[in-house]
Amino acid sequence: MTSTHDDHVGGERSSPPAVELIGITKHFGQIVACDRVNLTLRRGQIHGVLGENGAGKSTLMKVLIGLVLPDAGEVRLHGRTVQITDPVNASAHGIAMVHQHFSLVEALTVWENVALGDVGRLDHRHIRRRVGEISEHYGLHINPDDRIADLPAGMRQRVEIIKCLRRDPEVLVFDEPTSVLSPSESEFLFAALRRVVTEGGKAVALVSHKLPEILSVTDEVTIMRDGRVVQSGSTGGTHASALAKAMVGRSVVLRREHAAFGVIETDGDQPVPEVAAPRRPAATEPALRLIDLSAIGRDGRVLLGGLTLDVYPGEIVGVAGVEDNGQRTLGDVLSSLANIESGQVLVNGVEVATGKAGAMAKAGIAVIPEDRHDSGCVLDFTVAENLFIADPDRVSRRGLINMATMRAKATQLIEQFSINCTGPNAPMWSLSGGNQQRVVMARELSHSPKVLVAAQPTHGLDVGAIEYMSDQLRNAAVAGVGVLLISTELEEILDLSDRIVVIYNGRIIGEMPKSEVDIARLGLLMGGATSDATTTIGGSGD
Amino acid sequence: MPPQRSGVAVTETEAESATATSAQEVRPRSKLASTGEVIGLYAICLFGALAIAAALVEFASDKGSWTTVYTVILDGAVRKPGRWGLTLGVAAPILLVALGTTVSGRAGLVNIGQEGQLVIGAAFTAYVGTRIGGPGPLALVISLAMGVVGGAIWAGIAGALRFWRNVPEVLTTLLMGTVAANLVGWGLRHRSLLLAPPEGRANRNQVSQPFAADRHIPRVTLFGNDFPISILLAILLAIVVWLVLGRTVVGFRLRMLGRNARTAQRAGVDQKRYGIGAMLVSGGFAGLAGGVMLAGGDFGPYQLVADFGAGIGFAGLLAALVARQRALVIIFVAFLFAGLRTGSGFLRATGVSARIADVVQGTLVLAMLLPPAILYLRARRRAIAATSSRT
Repeated sequence: MTSTHDDHVGGERSSPPAVELIGITKHFGQIVACDRVNLTLRRGQIHGVLGENGAGKSTLMKVLIGLVLPDAGEVRLHGRTVQITDPVNASAHGIAMVHQHFSLVEALTVWENVALGDVGRLDHRHIRRRVGEISEHYGLHINPDDRIADLPAGMRQRVEIIKCLRRDPEVLVFDEPTSVLSPSESEFLFAALRRVVTEGGKAVALVSHKLPEILSVTDEVTIMRDGRVVQSGSTGGTHASALAKAMVGRSVVLRREHAAFGVIETDGDQPVPEVAAPRRPAATEPALRLIDLSAIGRDGRVLLGGLTLDVYPGEIVGVAGVEDNGQRTLGDVLSSLANIESGQVLVNGVEVATGKAGAMAKAGIAVIPEDRHDSGCVLDFTVAENLFIADPDRVSRRGLINMATMRAKATQLIEQFSINCTGPNAPMWSLSGGNQQRVVMARELSHSPKVLVAAQPTHGLDVGAIEYMSDQLRNAAVAGVGVLLISTELEEILDLSDRIVVIYNGRIIGEMPKSEVDIARLGLLMGGATSDATTTIGGSGD
Repeated sequence: MPPQRSGVAVTETEAESATATSAQEVRPRSKLASTGEVIGLYAICLFGALAIAAALVEFASDKGSWTTVYTVILDGAVRKPGRWGLTLGVAAPILLVALGTTVSGRAGLVNIGQEGQLVIGAAFTAYVGTRIGGPGPLALVISLAMGVVGGAIWAGIAGALRFWRNVPEVLTTLLMGTVAANLVGWGLRHRSLLLAPPEGRANRNQVSQPFAADRHIPRVTLFGNDFPISILLAILLAIVVWLVLGRTVVGFRLRMLGRNARTAQRAGVDQKRYGIGAMLVSGGFAGLAGGVMLAGGDFGPYQLVADFGAGIGFAGLLAALVARQRALVIIFVAFLFAGLRTGSGFLRATGVSARIADVVQGTLVLAMLLPPAILYLRARRRAIAATSSRT
């Protein structure tokens, strides 16, 4: 490292920046992923790259680390033009990337993972010492001898960071680093990132579509849309709704973002159906009744511990809670994917068999699953096929599928739900995440369900898609469907629910109508502390 | 592969966990390769294999030269008088086995015990066909139906173990193949089971009583080639399988189960019912192939012997793999495999030693398997690239 670069931001203006991407253009077939994109990363700064899914930010970063070769454009490092041909080459130039999905071997220890890919004799003492040093220097709290399998997601990411830092890169790229982290883990990550930037003098690029993150963490921000840079500048001079507007090209309802910032909602911006209060006449029967559901995992762990909950037609009930408190099992039970030890599930007063293939769907429970690839769609099927997975009888006679009817009905749904694809015969995997989600949504809602279960419905989606999903959920409720929203994102719950319940250790431990939301109490409940005397077992902090 | 999201305990129903592994595999996405590319790839592989085969014949064999190898294989498969009729007779059981493999494969099950299911099917056919009375054609249909039942039972055992006890069907089907071979061998030593009466078997020990002439599968003679009508039945069944898989609700659900078991479970596909059903059909096809071999006359004098399968079960399995489980493509691949078999049999007759002829045939089959493997790997790589660039 040259010492001349080690001074402050002011001095860096004069010396060439760490990375300059100039006029980067990349086509994939007819699609322009990047169109004459410029990006400058400076030492000692965190540079946010913001954009919706498919805006071209990932492609741009792949150009930087050599996974994608650009059709046109120039890459300059410290003012000198270089050719980055592959990731090894990029690494030699001092560029490293922490990917969204980890590539760690679970059975191995931290230092073994760090050493993976080294050639020659393995000096384990040296590597362990080095891991310890880096960990201590940046306050990462990683023990080189821990096994990866024993570490939570946040710690695993730190191991990935150590893998990068060990080669002492000058440029670090983070791709959606918080998508798998809890809020406290994210906070920790950003504190560490800040140390890496200030103490190590590195240049960092942070790819994200979370506005609060960009605003609170970055020094500069570049916003991409449809493969182009639409705005670039210092983060200090901007604010959330301006960023969002630049990102999606139109103003969006920023309720979620406001909630995330702790700005209490001012309700009056959009015609959200505020008929919420009288929506639930006391006389009606619940659309969905869950009575004392209990489920025990293979390892003997209690997954559901007597969960009781009613959802009435026309209301959105938000199930809030910290991850891994039974939400997944609840979703699985309502998708016929898991069975229960005891308890009852009733739809409109009629009991539904649990664990029996298709029973829940048949009874009128629509599900937008937490992981749509897992139980929401078949990636190798066409869009049309995916739209009729649960009910092929609607497009068939005497067991024979009528392809023309199927295509016609699918085309109709594609239009109705504005699914962006090349047609009903497009393979599902060719769609973007947001459009796959729309296919799931279209299918589930077209069966005129009585209950709609939405588990983390906006996870991994961009602002525009989130807005769309939220509208769909509200519309379903207005149409008289009982909506059960299961989410670990509190903002989402606060934004959408008419009634909020809190799940902890597999049961509902508290409830409050939207009008009486008390964030402090909510937080306590999520940590397992009930407001009544029956306070539960020691809080698991995170 | 990226690790699954960490530390999250998932509840699983029994059936779901059984298929969890298959759901997580990266699947090939068959697009991207144009028809021209595919044909080119096959041509290159086939040419390479022929070159290796030629070199083998040239250097490792004292008789025959490489120039003759190509022509001899072609002569033996189609060109010489009567040869393509023979090829059709061999193609019928290969095609039947491959169709069964496709049905179970599309449901996400790996049945690799067709050889055993085929032998059991042949044994059932032999037992019933030599014992029941009645008019010939009816007896033939009944004994072939019993072959279907035999094969279905044999595969059904593996299916039942898979869905009730969670035993991998890859293992059970293969191991049950060995059991089948030995069981039939044992049956061929007992008069009460399969062994022919002493006056019928001359000096041979382990043979069954030959089928009566009125119970043979009728043969058609065309341009000096004669072949059993079972090949027409097999082609008809290929079209049926294609229709059922592609155009019916049952086929739709079966494919759904194979592609994403959890989505299928939620959508109302009963895994046990459909999974075991697919195994029964798969075994049934192999059993029918065994019966057809026995009553068709292209594999010995209408009687069961030890090692009756002659590798037809494995050839059918390979044919299904090469055709990537597409029912109509399988018809052509089955002909190709049958041609290779009859062609290299003819090669043996030219004086090239039997072992070398076997190696030549193996090399050619391997050449047929390479292109799908290459396409699979390429599609997988592109699919991985595509999914990571979409995020």
